[in-house]
Amino acid sequence: MKRHFLYLLAGVAFTVCFFITSTASSGNLFEWLFYNQGLNDHLFNLSVYPMLAAIIVCMAWGAAAVYYFVINSVKFDRWWHWLSVLVIVSLVTPLACHAATTALLAGAGMDYGAATVQFGLQHIMWTALLFVVASFSMRWWSTNCRHTPFPQ
Amino acid sequence: MRLFLFAIGGTGSRVLKSLTMLLASGVRPVDENGRPVPDMELVPIIIDPHKSNEDLKRTEALLNAYRELRAAIHGTDTDAEGFFATRVCSLAEVATGGTPIDDSFVLNMSTVEREKFRDFIGYDTMDEGAQALTSLLFADYQLENKMNIGFVGSPNIGSVALNEVKDSPQFKAMAGVFRPDDRIFFISSIFGGTGAAGFPILVKNIRQAAQLDQLDNRDALSRAPIGGLTMLPYFNLERSKDDHRIDTADFIVKTQSALHYYRGTLTSANDSNVNAIYYLGDQVHSLPQRYDPGEHGQRNAAHLVELVGALAPLHFAGLPVSRLSDPDGAPKPTVAFEYALEKDVHDIDFTALGPATRNLIYDPMARMQLMQRYLQDGLKRHLGQGFTQDQPRIKADMLTSQFYRTLTERFVPAWCDWLDEMHNNSRSVSLVNPEAPDMAHIIHNVESRKGFFGRKTIDDNTFKALMNRESRNADRYAAKSPEFKLLDLLYRAAGEIVDTKFENIN
Repeated sequence: MKRHFLYLLAGVAFTVCFFITSTASSGNLFEWLFYNQGLNDHLFNLSVYPMLAAIIVCMAWGAAAVYYFVINSVKFDRWWHWLSVLVIVSLVTPLACHAATTALLAGAGMDYGAATVQFGLQHIMWTALLFVVASFSMRWWSTNCRHTPFPQ
Repeated sequence: MRLFLFAIGGTGSRVLKSLTMLLASGVRPVDENGRPVPDMELVPIIIDPHKSNEDLKRTEALLNAYRELRAAIHGTDTDAEGFFATRVCSLAEVATGGTPIDDSFVLNMSTVEREKFRDFIGYDTMDEGAQALTSLLFADYQLENKMNIGFVGSPNIGSVALNEVKDSPQFKAMAGVFRPDDRIFFISSIFGGTGAAGFPILVKNIRQAAQLDQLDNRDALSRAPIGGLTMLPYFNLERSKDDHRIDTADFIVKTQSALHYYRGTLTSANDSNVNAIYYLGDQVHSLPQRYDPGEHGQRNAAHLVELVGALAPLHFAGLPVSRLSDPDGAPKPTVAFEYALEKDVHDIDFTALGPATRNLIYDPMARMQLMQRYLQDGLKRHLGQGFTQDQPRIKADMLTSQFYRTLTERFVPAWCDWLDEMHNNSRSVSLVNPEAPDMAHIIHNVESRKGFFGRKTIDDNTFKALMNRESRNADRYAAKSPEFKLLDLLYRAAGEIVDTKFENIN
């Protein structure tokens, strides 16, 4: 049990680090993989990064929580079921992020077109990573899916 | 407490088979307050010179499988709970010191088995007068009877031959380990040969143990609480064209004679030879069973009366000692017990049994049947998932282990055969349905509960979900074997299913 709480703490710590680094002014996580000076400057100035980080964190942890504690079904406890949730959340979250980003940019009278899409692609990876972290943080307390995607 | 259970003759073996099935499903003897009798050990001793008797062989095989499974699950723990809870051991397992005896549930009667009855009593060495008297007492076919096929309906042979039991190493071994709180129970028929003769002879030998110098613990043995289940006629035999040694038409006459004898020597109101007697029979006789007293021996289909009879030793084990012995330990006079169905019907389901019986066997038998169904393919599909991954892990090699094979290839098929035979007999017993299309219909005439969307479905996944939940209790399974974990989880999950998914009939 103690080990499980350590996993949870590690997961929370990782997520907090993600949130901090994705909102930092220098060495920003979102700018590691894609940088377009005009777009990124505007996103930073419009405080879009914290919102994107929050969306990603909430979607990843939320999807994991739904999978492990709401679905929590013996009919949905195999690794491919878990992978399906990962794929779905990794696709839905960037769409949500993209929608939020374009809405804010449009509100400010800006349109970066394809650059916004290219920027949003990285959210697939961040969401997937956080979903994995969230899964390994909370799965121990699931009745039926605690051994998914692989045994404890 | 140890209960030494003498199962005498073919009927003794058949009742013992039913008892083994009940014990396997988790039925335990309970005291008057409904609490399981603590530290209960059952030591069955089958007495039947007819070793090739199919009924005996089936029961012996079943007991061996039970013992093997029980050892793998609970070891030597005498206070276990769940499937195979009660420890069943052979006399050799409990015996300490003395002459080594076979590790078998069947009493070795080699001195009797080898001989014709006339050789056994030394007929040819008798003088003319003694031979004439012997010929008056025994018919020619009885004198020529080779006793390796039993006493074929002749209690007068059995009463002579079974007197030898007291000199056997097994009887001495039993006396050697007998403790003052142990009990003895006999199961026999009254309308045949071996059982009708064996019961009074063995009771006499035990009560007179104080006079048998070669025995240890003579005092405790001679004052032992003794119970007996005496089966009155309940089955029919097909008529044989050539062999009339056993004839159904004689059953009632034999029963009357034996009852008269028992009343005079064993069970009268002032007699304390047998402290508790259970007479059991049924006016509705079974379907005719194949007549074969010879080489292969009887193989009768299981019957309701045997199932009810199996409750007698459990009831006896739960009786308070004050009902069986005086405060100074002397045996009390005979108390007779009777049993009746709640509904006198030909098709027996759980509701036809009385509430006391239902309370005792409904839940365990339903659990056992649910386990049987789950083991058909549920476990194979669920290996590597959920509860199987918790410690101790249930791995794929479980399916090829000796334990699992004994359970699924020896015990469970015997369970299904037993149910099937009772179902096809008369009265027809349909308590649980091995052939039910799904788990929701596994308890005969008991529906699954209604939910919001209709009747609840019960399947392997229902089991899996409940076992996943129970398996999270790491403390319960720490230092336990995967075999224990599997059977314990199945027992708990099945119990939860019976309690919450089926309508309550208790």
